Formats: sequence, structure tokens, C-alpha cells
Amino acid sequence: MSSGLASDEVAEDYKNSLEDLTFNSRWEISNLTVIAKENMDHALAISRVIENHIKSTPPNRKLPALYLLDSVAKNVGTPYTLFFGRNLYQTFMNAYSLVDGSVRRKLEEMLKTWKEPVPGSMNSRPVFPTEVTRSIDNALIKARTAAVQMQQQQARNDPLGRGRGVIPAQTPPIPFRNTPTPPVAGARYTPPQTTQVYVPQSNGNGNGITGIYGGSQPLNQQAYANPMSASNYQQPDGFEQPTGSIDSLHNDIANLIATTRNEFATNPYDEGIRQRLKALLDLQSILQSQQLPPDQLKLIKDQVAQLTPASFTPAPISTPIPPQPQPQPQPQPQPQQQQHQPSLQNMFPPNALAALLASTAASQQPAPPPVQLPVPVTQPPIPYTQSPSAPVQGITSPENSLLASLRAAGMLPAPSNNPAPPPPPPPLPAAPLPTTLPFQIPFPLPHISTPPNVHASPAQPCQGRVSNDVQMTSASLKISRPHLISLLYEGQPNQCASCGRRFLNTDEGKKKKAAHLDWHFKVNQRMVEAVKRGQNRSWYVDEMEWIKSRDDPDDLNAQSANGTHTNPSTTAVSLSTAMKKDPKMQYIPVPNDPALANVNCPICQEKFETVWHDQAQEWVWMDAVKIGGKVYHASCHAEASKDGAGIQRVATPEKVLGKRKAEASTRKHAACA
Amino acid sequence: MLFVTDSRVKSQEVDTPTIHELQKGSEWRFEVAFGTSVEVKLLSGTAELFGTELALNQTYTFIGAKAAIYTWNGCRLEVSGTCQVEYTAEETPMISYSNTHFALENLRQSAVAENREGPRVLVVGPENAGKTSLVKILTAYATRMGRQPIVVNLDSREGMLSIPGSLTATAFSSIIDVEEGWGSSPTSGPSLVPIKLPLVYYYGLPSPEDNKKIYKPLATRLALSVSSRLMEDEAAKETGCLIDTPGAISQGKANYDVIQHVVSEFSVNVLLVLGSERLYSDMLRRFDGSKTSNDENITVIKLSKSGGCVDRDETFLKQARQAAIREYFFGEANRTLSPHTQQVDFGQLLIYKITEPNSLIASLMPGGEVEGDVPLFGKVEPSVLMQNCVLAILHADLGDSQEILRDASVMGFVYVADVDDKKRKLRILAPVSGRLPARPMVLGSWPEPALNLVG
Ligand SMILES: [Zn+2]
Ligand SMILES: [Zn+2]
Repeated sequence: MSSGLASDEVAEDYKNSLEDLTFNSRWEISNLTVIAKENMDHALAISRVIENHIKSTPPNRKLPALYLLDSVAKNVGTPYTLFFGRNLYQTFMNAYSLVDGSVRRKLEEMLKTWKEPVPGSMNSRPVFPTEVTRSIDNALIKARTAAVQMQQQQARNDPLGRGRGVIPAQTPPIPFRNTPTPPVAGARYTPPQTTQVYVPQSNGNGNGITGIYGGSQPLNQQAYANPMSASNYQQPDGFEQPTGSIDSLHNDIANLIATTRNEFATNPYDEGIRQRLKALLDLQSILQSQQLPPDQLKLIKDQVAQLTPASFTPAPISTPIPPQPQPQPQPQPQPQQQQHQPSLQNMFPPNALAALLASTAASQQPAPPPVQLPVPVTQPPIPYTQSPSAPVQGITSPENSLLASLRAAGMLPAPSNNPAPPPPPPPLPAAPLPTTLPFQIPFPLPHISTPPNVHASPAQPCQGRVSNDVQMTSASLKISRPHLISLLYEGQPNQCASCGRRFLNTDEGKKKKAAHLDWHFKVNQRMVEAVKRGQNRSWYVDEMEWIKSRDDPDDLNAQSANGTHTNPSTTAVSLSTAMKKDPKMQYIPVPNDPALANVNCPICQEKFETVWHDQAQEWVWMDAVKIGGKVYHASCHAEASKDGAGIQRVATPEKVLGKRKAEASTRKHAACA
Repeated sequence: MLFVTDSRVKSQEVDTPTIHELQKGSEWRFEVAFGTSVEVKLLSGTAELFGTELALNQTYTFIGAKAAIYTWNGCRLEVSGTCQVEYTAEETPMISYSNTHFALENLRQSAVAENREGPRVLVVGPENAGKTSLVKILTAYATRMGRQPIVVNLDSREGMLSIPGSLTATAFSSIIDVEEGWGSSPTSGPSLVPIKLPLVYYYGLPSPEDNKKIYKPLATRLALSVSSRLMEDEAAKETGCLIDTPGAISQGKANYDVIQHVVSEFSVNVLLVLGSERLYSDMLRRFDGSKTSNDENITVIKLSKSGGCVDRDETFLKQARQAAIREYFFGEANRTLSPHTQQVDFGQLLIYKITEPNSLIASLMPGGEVEGDVPLFGKVEPSVLMQNCVLAILHADLGDSQEILRDASVMGFVYVADVDDKKRKLRILAPVSGRLPARPMVLGSWPEPALNLVG
């Protein structure tokens, strides 16, 4: 399989071949797919070339380029799907924002097939992981939502131009440039009635069992030839018109409007209520003037159900709806009153999405009020064309800032504090539908793999202040983030001069540092003595001891104010005055003298328990005390002395032994904690 | 970490210290031969060695080291002594390595929030790709953030806090020794750098493929201990573990079953692939999209290897192994230990030899050559062949079965200084004084015999 060439040579070759992909040529695409398949060793390089080509090629060549991506993903599969998948959001959205309506519908159609398994494949997994396609879906829906509002605003500002809003569906798609005639090359996008064009494989249209480039199957054009036309709308399979439910929906909305009006009357300055009322009124007018496809209705129903107080809740909604707080509206100018009915036609002009993306990617500011947007936007949008050196930006940041603006505009709920993962999203509307609702969307926030940052563990108080957006993806790992590095340095300004360890500048950090310095001091003291005494490697702990042992990074046990360390080889040492009272916490270092090292407790005849003592930094016998040259269990000794007897008059060994054994595990714990 | 030959620069052999000004984002790579020492002092700025920060104006001494000092903010270093090789590199993979740490931090935070175990990270890659350096950096960063990773070494070619031939697991909550690799295991005295407490197993062969019948169960046993610790130790649980592996399991599909085994035994959910595109795509194919036993997604990430890594010469590696054995018994330069020698009768010891069909020693051992259903260990009489070898004392009892011996952790190592066949006596070097514990011992063939450890 391997060509034996270096990846960059293969990439260069492939890049040159891509120059020929100027229109939707099935032959070219299958040819390039085969080359990709034969050079799997260079899959990474080839997928980068394809991605870059999609990004840099002029709008009229983007569709064939994306068809190539589609073909490689479906016919070659991994690792290409993995490589494409990482940047798919960016690749797709970048292209989508620059092409005209007809191409967009083809892209939407293609996106739909990515959510399904490869036709004829044994593998039941979708072409691309659901998380990837879902993020694109979400972005499209959100953009449409915004577009609706812009559309309304345009219509208001330009009442004479309202003809734009009612262009019949048969009208050629609106070109990217605001020219009255579509680009010449545009004709090529429309699949001609030949078998020469590439059609994305899909399970839905029943073609492509044998693979795309062998197929001479008729194009399923009707399915998306004129999806904009509400009257011609073909119901997708599996959907049933919710007959009878329209009326109840009207009622629900009317009720909601009434309730909200009352609310608004009592809180005339509440921006949130006003926005909600406005959205409901918009919705009502759309419903009354348009015939909506069922999945759109479902979306509206879900939305309404969410807004409806319990008493109004209609029949159970199958769609899981995440619990959402009401949006935290930002004060901002809002359209006063709806002047005219927005049309569902053409609600999603190409420039609207571009402008929206431009406005949101440019800053984290709330989206500017639609009225300030130049209509139409003539220059190409900036946001999704970034340098390859920062690929992750396209995946996360614009997405997030888009969300932020939508949130700020009250179109999305405020971020939830609930750490639970979002429930699975409700089914998305059929791809070619270009409209949606002018208010918040009942979709969970995009998944991607952004872990919640809100749960700073108490162990890392410093990280809570700095946003860590690093994801475990190759793209994310490449971006320099000096602000995170400072968590390891300046963020912990309190540094130990002798070992370089850093501490936080908090009270706790200072306390830990004090304990740490104390530890240094004691070690230094004992070092002198250890050199005289000589030391040796200790035996390793066994499994149980290791599992039970606990590291004490903060040396907190070492900070005994009165912890003058007496000679450990001759006296029982205690950790602190408090521990002194508990004989079981007394210990002595394991004697170096072989004669002593194997002795048993003279009282109970049991061996001593050897434990690694973190604070003492050495092996010790716990519950041990050395008296008159003999070593006893401290507890045995205490027990014996308490009885008023001398150590010669011994308590029943069994009794003491039983007690000791019962406490053994807890003691070991305490000693090492 | 090792170094590119063509950029090698001989430093002048003078005693006056050299000053190195490092620009931010660059690193000073240096090699110090065994037997010579180099002192490094940070004069200003910040600097770190494999992720562990250097203190200002402290003298760090390196002997037999190949390392790199990196600076995020720029620094001035004062260097005295002779490096075999030294140069400054502007291009390093530190951004992606540090980001890997912060990505792991995010995983840890969500693990805390959901009361799950932190990420179990496996680092794979061919020999000399810088796996251990990466693990060390990730360990150091984690502890600097107040975390406590459990670091697992599955590479018996090099030891971690123990001698080569061993597999270990250790909790790291305190600073890593800058001068001494991973630091030191407990001794009877104090330590200037906080002691690390390893759990040690002995595999006794250089590569997992030498005897998978022992290697895999050992990995399983180690995973069991680690997961028990993770269950009970809150700090460790939040942080998860970092697993270093031998290059052998990444070189050739024949050993991928070992990777598979480790991934499943440790419930690995992050697989970091270093320095091999091919291995990366193989790992993607094998693991991407699959789930761990506790239903977490497995993420496969490729990281580039540092330009500081080149093939290490066998001479250096052998010297490093010998040094590790010496340090186990005698300590490091700044802390000498006093091991004890003693005479023991042949009959006092119960020694098992790890079965290893291809080994020279095995073929010479009586009963060492066996075919078919080979027992894991064969009981062996002490002989001259054991001279200069290391024996592992197991946490096991004399009558234990082969399986128990195989799974037992190690209590310590002794060194066979001399064998007198006629008098049937051995001279044994042990770390601890006193009678040798009456426990089974295991003889492997790795590390190779250490010459002249005892005069
Ligand atoms: Zn310190
Ligand atoms: Zn006793």
C-alpha cells in the first residue's frame, strides 16, 4: 500500500491533482478517492491537503471538493474519517458560509448522510461521529435562528424591499455575491441529468450499495430540488403530519401570549419577558401565515411546551428537553413591534450567516443588534479562514463565541451549572429546511469534548481563575497557552528557595510552605546525625502496605511546634504532644542492631509492625517504645503499667494481642496518612 | 533524552564556569559521562528539568546524565565541568507536552466532578522516542499542580526507583529529584528530596516478548494493585495514573497484544503515541472509538518526539544499568548507603530461575532447557554462574506455588558477590543488615551481571 514516498511528496502530488477538480466530476472524485486509498500511510498529509483545498478553493469549487472528502470518508474510512473528523466543523462551516443556497442544500443533504452508516457497510457506526455532526447541526440551527431575526429586521427597515422576502421558491438560489444573476459556474452545481456527477451516498435514498463510482443510479433530485417551496414540500419518510395538533399548538401559543402579556404588564421593564413576548408573537404570525413541515412544527411544539406553564402542557413530548433556566437577557435594543409577517422563504441568506459568524468570531461581545448590520454584506467573511497554525480556533472558539453572542442576545439559555452531561439531542429538522424559530432553541449546548471547567478541585485552587480550554485533540495541543504555563510559575508565587517547590499565595499556601520549610530544617538536622550513624536501603513494602500508604506532599505532620527530635535510635519519638498521648502512635526507628531487629515484644511475644513513616522519612516500628534497652509495644507497656503492675506483671497476652490485631489496620492508616 | 550527533559541540575543557543565556521556549541539552560531573546553577529566570523546576542559585550536580533544561520564560544558567555534548535547541515539543498536561487536568476536573477515576494514561512509542521523559514531565507538572499521579513503569529495560528488570508503581506527590532520575526509594535515614515509595515487581528479562507468560500476569497484578490504590487514595484517584512502556511493544504488530493487554488491565483511556506515524494509525485503528471497561472513551493522541532523542548507545545504557544497581546498594553521590555482606550456605537459599528458553544462562543451567509446557520458574542450585548476579527476594513464602511466586512483589534485591562451589558457600551483599529473610528468591537474566560491585 505504501508508495514509499515521504508524506510531503505524496501531499504535493495530491495537491496538484486537486487543481483539476473544478466541477462535480464523478470520474475525478473516484480517481482521487482511489489515490487516497492507496496512500493510507500518508492519510494525515492527504487529509490536510483536502481540508486546505476546501478552505482555499473559490466558492464555486467548494462543493466538488467537499464531495471528494465525502467520497474518501465513505469509501476509505479510517483513518481519514478520524483526520477529517477533527476539523470537520471548521471545514464544513467555512465552506457553508461562502456558498449559495443551492450548494448549501447539497451540503445539508451530505451532512445528513454523515449521520448514517456507510451504505452497504457492515459497520453500523455513522460516517462521522455523532458529536462532530451534531456540532455542525447545532451551529446551522443557531445561525438560522439569528438569520430569522435579521430577516425580520431587514424587512422592517426596507418595507419596499419586502419582495426579497417573498421570492418564489422557483427563483434561482441567491448567489453569494449580491448580483442579480447567479455565477456562471453555478449551473454546474445543479446536478445535470447525467451519471457523471458525484452524489453522496446515503442510506436514505437507497442508492450506492456498491459504492459511489460504480453507481449509475438515477439521481434522487426530487428530494431536494425545491425544498424551499412550502407548497411543494415533500414529507420525508417517517414523518407524519401531526393532524389536529396544529390547533392545540395555536391554542397553547395564544395562552402563552396571554400569560406573557400579563406578566409584561406587571413588569414593563423586564427585558426578558418583553423578548419572550416578542418571540411568541413572531411565532404566532409565522404559524398563521405559513404551512410548516411537521418536523418544524415539532420543534415549535417542543419550544412551546418548554415555555408553557405546567397547566398548559400539551400531550407528552417525546423529545427530551434539558432543564433550562430562562435566558439571562442582556439589555439591548429590540425590534419594537412586528410590522409584517416574515416569510419562511429565503430566511437564511448567505450573507446573513457570514455576517453573523463575522460578528461573533470577531469578539466576545454580545452580537450587535441586527439593525446595524449592513445589508447585504459584500465582502467575504473573515472568521473561518484562519492560518493553519491555529486550527483549533475554528473548532472551539468561534463556536463558543457564537454561542456566547446567541446567549447574550437571549436566543440561548445561559450556561447551565448542572455538571450532568446534556441529554441526547432531539432529532434535528430535515436538513434542507432553511428556517427555524426566532427564540431560544431547545438543544443542548454543543457537546464537543469541552470538559466542564467550573469544577475546580480544591487541590488546585489556582486553576479556577484561569480558563483551561485544552482538549485532548492534536489541534488543541498545538496552541501555545502562556496563561496556563503561568499556573506552574507565577500563579504560585511562593517559592521554596532550597528546592524550588512553589506554593499558592493564599493562607493555606503559606501554611503549607511553613510546614515545608520546617521539613527541610529537620531533614538537614537529621542528615548530620545520619552521616555519623550510617544508613542503608530499606526493604520495599508489600502490596498491602503500598496500597494503604499515603503520600503527604505537604509535610503537615512534620510541623510540630515542640517537635524537638530527640535521638531516634534510643528513645521513642512521638509526632506531637497530641499523639504522645496515644501509645499506638509511638514509634521507634527499626533498630540497626541485628540482635534487636528480630526481637519480639517481651509482653505479648508478637513481632513489631514495620511501617514506612512519611514524616520521619524512615522505617519505624509503630506502637513501640524502648525502655531500658528492651523494646515493647507501647500499648502493651501502657496496658501493663496502667494495671498498676510493673512490666514484669503481664496482662493476658491473648487479650492484648486481640486488641492489637483489631486495631492494626486503622493504626497503619493513621501512621501513614 | 538523547542528542543529535551533528549538532554536537565540544565544550572547552576549562574550569571557569560557562554562562548560557537561554531564550524563552528553548532548552539546553547536555550529556555528562559516567565518572565525570557537571554542576549547573540557575542564575536568573525560570528553568525546569523534565518538568521539575530548578531553584535559583542552587547547585545541581549531574553524573552520567543525558538531560535537557527547558525554559518557558528565558533564563541564565551557569555551568561548570565538562559536558560530553551540549547545545541549545530552539525547537522542542514542550508546547504540546504541556498542553497534554492541561488537557489531562481538564479530564481530572471532570473526573472529580463525576466522582470517577482520573485519566489512565499510557505512553507508547519506539525505543528512544522520549517516552520516559514525557512521563516525567507529565508527572512533574501534575505534582506541581498539587496532584498525586501513580506512575507505573512497565519497561524492565530501565528501572524506576529500582533496578532494571523491575516493574514498579509509585505515587508522586512531591518534587522529583532533579539530579537522580526519579529519586530514591526509602532508606533508613533522612533524605533531602522527599522519598518515593515504590511497589516493586521483578520480571528479570529485558523485553516483554521474552516471556509473555510472566510479563502479562505481572502487568495484571500491577494493575490490580494500582486500581486498589486508586480506589482508596482520594488524591491518587482524582489524578489517575501515567504508564511508561518498553519500546519493544510498539515495534512490530507481534507485540500489540501486550499494548492491548495493558490498555484493558489498567482501563487506559488516554493513549499517547510518541514519534511514530505508523504506530499512531495502528493505535487509532485498534482503539479509537472503543471504550474502557468502565465505559469511558479511549482517546488516541500522537505527540512528536523531541529533537533531543536519538538512539542511545549500548555502552551508555549498560553503564546506566550498572549505576542503578550500585545505587540500590550504595546510594548516590550525596548520600552513601552501607550495605552488608555475609556468608551463606547453599542450603540456606531457595532460588528460582525464570524460564527463558532462548537465554544463554538458561541453556547452561541444569534443567533450564525445557520444551512444551514450560513451568514459569525452575528451582536452581547456587553455582558460579550466579556470580555477580542480582537475586530478587519475594514477598512470598518458601512453599508457595509458581503462580504465587510469579505474582509476588519484591522485598528487595541481593547481589551475589562470590560463589565457592567447593565450600558450598555464597557471599551475599544485602541492603539491610541482619539475617537474610527466609523467603524465595528469583534469578533473572536482566539486568546482566554487575561486575566488581564489591571489591
Ligand atoms: Zn523546599
Ligand atoms: Zn506487645
